[in-house]
Amino acid sequence: MNDIRKLDFAWVMLVLLSVSGAGLGGAIEPGFGVTLVVAAVMGIKVRIVCAYFMELGTASRRIRQLMYAFCYGMPLLVILTSLFGPSLARLTGALV
Amino acid sequence: MNLAATLPLRPATLGRIPGNKAIWVGIYCEVTEFALMFLVYFIARAHHPDSFTAGPSQLSLAAGTAYTVLLVTSGFCVARGLAAMRVANRQACLRWLLAAFVFGAGYPMIKFFEVRWNLAHGLDGDAGVFFVTYYYLTFNHLVHVFWGLLGLLWVMVRTGAGSYTAAEHDGLEAFACYWHTTDIIWLMIFPLFYVLR
Repeated sequence: MNDIRKLDFAWVMLVLLSVSGAGLGGAIEPGFGVTLVVAAVMGIKVRIVCAYFMELGTASRRIRQLMYAFCYGMPLLVILTSLFGPSLARLTGALV
Repeated sequence: MNLAATLPLRPATLGRIPGNKAIWVGIYCEVTEFALMFLVYFIARAHHPDSFTAGPSQLSLAAGTAYTVLLVTSGFCVARGLAAMRVANRQACLRWLLAAFVFGAGYPMIKFFEVRWNLAHGLDGDAGVFFVTYYYLTFNHLVHVFWGLLGLLWVMVRTGAGSYTAAEHDGLEAFACYWHTTDIIWLMIFPLFYVLR
């Protein structure tokens, strides 16, 4: 697959993941399983943008690490907040 | 012969800085700003789980999905424009950038109608902590999209004027990095406010 076809494929994947991910919002009862799927889809989509559109694979290590920390940190926080929401609320009680 | 199929469209150099250093300072600032706002989102969500469970069902999922498709399509067009510039096809680059602008401009247009729809249904800043967080984050993102659209107009003018070549197009690549970062941030905002309950 040449680089142009890879870009086309990345775009199709992003659109499909976005539309199917949106379907999760209306179709399924909320729960931890849904949260996991939503976080995974979020992580996959941002990974596609980083790899194919931003071409971070050839970027300097610091740039790559910063972007990956941000891109994977958010889905991780989604899962952690779902698992430990009450603990986070207790820890941050003084802020609110 | 199809140049796009034969020439390398990606730089082979490892460890390079895509675009230029200045844009990465800006991107670092943008990422830090949104990371802090997302932190506020998670803390608010931990304190008000009921509000954040009920909130997404009151927003228009169709509008959220439309924004996502428009922004990733706009980002795709910018990536194709950059690929066209790398094989010295300036006209194709300009066409892709114009398409990117059209798709990108669709975002604030739909946002205008969505906000009107929200306000007509009483979903304003007084509608609860979910909506305060929602407006704060999405309007901040909207501001970044506006900057991106202005940047897109600028690189279109520069491309049209012949300022970029196959060998030297750092400004175009720098803009592309900014625009893709704005995409990435939306790809996080969308599930947090429209999907996750």
